Amino acid sequence: MNKIKSFFTSFIKKDATKTVVTSLWCALLGLILGFIILLIINARDAAFGMTSVLGNYLIFSSHSDRLNYFGQALAKTAPLIAMSLSILVCYKAGLFNLGGSGQYSIAVIIITLLGVGANMPWWFVLIIAMIGAAIWSMISGALKAFFNVNEVISGIMLNWIALYLTNGILSSNTSIWDSAHSESYRISSGSNSFIPSIGLEHVFAGNQIVGLGMILILVVVAIIYILFKKSTVGYELKATGFNPDAAKYAGINYVKNVLIATAISGALAGLAAVLNLQNGFTSWRLSSVTPEIGFQGISAAFLGGLHPIGIIFSSYFIIHISEGGSMITDLGFAPEVASIMTSVIIYLSGFTAFMKEMIRKNEIKDELNRLNREKEKKS
Amino acid sequence: MIITLSILSFLLAYVSVLTITALGGMFSEKSGTVALSLEGSMTIGAFSSGVAMYLLPTYLPDGLCAIIVILVAIISSGLYSLLLALACITFKANQTLIGTALNILSTALAVVIIKQITITEALPVGNSRLSFNRFYEIFNFNLFGLQGVRFNWLIFIVLALIPIIYVVIYKTKFGLRLSSCGENPSSADSLGINVNKTRYIGVILSGLFAGFGGLLLISMNAEWEFANGASGFGFLALAVLIFGQWKPLYIFLGAFIFSLFKTLSVVYPSIDFLANLGISSYFYLALPYVVCLIVLVFTSKKNVGPKALGVPYDKGKR
Repeated sequence: MNKIKSFFTSFIKKDATKTVVTSLWCALLGLILGFIILLIINARDAAFGMTSVLGNYLIFSSHSDRLNYFGQALAKTAPLIAMSLSILVCYKAGLFNLGGSGQYSIAVIIITLLGVGANMPWWFVLIIAMIGAAIWSMISGALKAFFNVNEVISGIMLNWIALYLTNGILSSNTSIWDSAHSESYRISSGSNSFIPSIGLEHVFAGNQIVGLGMILILVVVAIIYILFKKSTVGYELKATGFNPDAAKYAGINYVKNVLIATAISGALAGLAAVLNLQNGFTSWRLSSVTPEIGFQGISAAFLGGLHPIGIIFSSYFIIHISEGGSMITDLGFAPEVASIMTSVIIYLSGFTAFMKEMIRKNEIKDELNRLNREKEKKS
Repeated sequence: MIITLSILSFLLAYVSVLTITALGGMFSEKSGTVALSLEGSMTIGAFSSGVAMYLLPTYLPDGLCAIIVILVAIISSGLYSLLLALACITFKANQTLIGTALNILSTALAVVIIKQITITEALPVGNSRLSFNRFYEIFNFNLFGLQGVRFNWLIFIVLALIPIIYVVIYKTKFGLRLSSCGENPSSADSLGINVNKTRYIGVILSGLFAGFGGLLLISMNAEWEFANGASGFGFLALAVLIFGQWKPLYIFLGAFIFSLFKTLSVVYPSIDFLANLGISSYFYLALPYVVCLIVLVFTSKKNVGPKALGVPYDKGKR
């Protein structure tokens, strides 16, 4: 009995558990606030609206519909995981990657030109897109390392430059641009550039957008986990992030590490575009604002406690409620209600450090009290 | 002549939007809090004043309406910036994260509420675009009585505020105390300055100014698509603030250079020489950002920003 108890207390005291608990609190508070907003907008349908947001595909009555939309949710989760990992890698190295949208856009250009335009093999398109995005991201890294330009600002500037570049290049090329819908053509399921669905579509009621990408992203999560847990490269990145001056003093090359961090995170942002476009699910739509996914990645990364495994769950959660949000338009609610919920959740997850600190202080207090009591007993 | 004048009025309006927002951000950053949420504050100012312009009844006199709209813009965005202050100053949260969250939240809030108020029988889901023709007429007058040249009188307010802000920052007790909280909060605290209170004031001031910037931005037009937020002007203002090296006069200069290129992207088709070059419009749209990056390369080497920028004040570390 005592053993179980001690196991349980040590489990609760673990840092990871605290992170999970605080993240769950944030998610719950965000959802409650979302519900209140729905109540204000339309009290009569609010409960049903909330069920739709939370239930997402579960509200469908047909089994195959449910499987189909579950597959769609999974397929949309994969790119978000990639984007969150991109934010994570930079964050561990002490950089904030706000340029994810730009890196994503650059990969979109490459995928559309090589995939839709030239029908290249999918793995080739994937590699080139990731390299392209990595190089774009390294502009930010180089400006930081050599000219001390704040990476947040350069990232934002590069987002806008990439946005106009993508709009300009794709829309001027009639073979890849569908001007009637002002978006680029999608990669069709028969083409060489389509990521193979390796039979997974049979599991998800014939939904072909689920495929090899699912396995790919899990492999990438594992690689990033090992990178920071076991490898020298990851250790040096973390050291640079923790204290750049101390890292320099210990002989870690600062410039090299900033470039590596931005390159990896750019490649991951490029992978997000690959997973979003090369299953024929979306394409580039003419837009006057930078793609949302770069900012969603920040939400998922922080809600996931900045841990590769946590990111899998937080990304799925964010996709789940934003997909659910798109189902409540019939009730007269704007789908952006889901976006309010996620942004409130990110806002609250900013408080996690403080919350953990409070838990720690309480523990110290308890420990001191216990010691005092023991002392009294003895005397 | 008319083209030149209208280009000039475009240019001045952009300069004013960027200057006032960046100066607002300066109050926040000089006191030590990163002003990444300028975009969100602008969006809130724009959206709340947009809703006011949409809802205000026509029987109220124009002057009164204008005052109400201005007050709504600055007060709502001032209140919104309290969210930033609470998280970043009191609860010591990551400032980039909170800024990003507030930027997303502002656009989402604006879209949800505007879609709700634009619902009609014919349009059950609503629309995130608002038009406010009456207020376009109120805020923009015909310069020298010329048809086709519109001039926004809110610009005069901005021009009047610049010297006032300069004096407040450099010549008053409050301004110097504000700067000391961003440079060395520990010694400011040891001299009896309440660091957190001063930082709260800095953040709230930045909200007030950014809200005004948001109103000025949308009142240059007769309608606005709120799904685009403040169209990235808040981010531009932040860049202007950094390459203006946190100094009011440099900020004005930076805003001017930036606006020159921004205006170019709007008016280049009417300049024969540029239109004949046959360069894609996207090139001109991207140009201001490219210029901004290049300027940043030359101005960032020597870090001149407030030393305690982005670092929450911890009394225990004194």
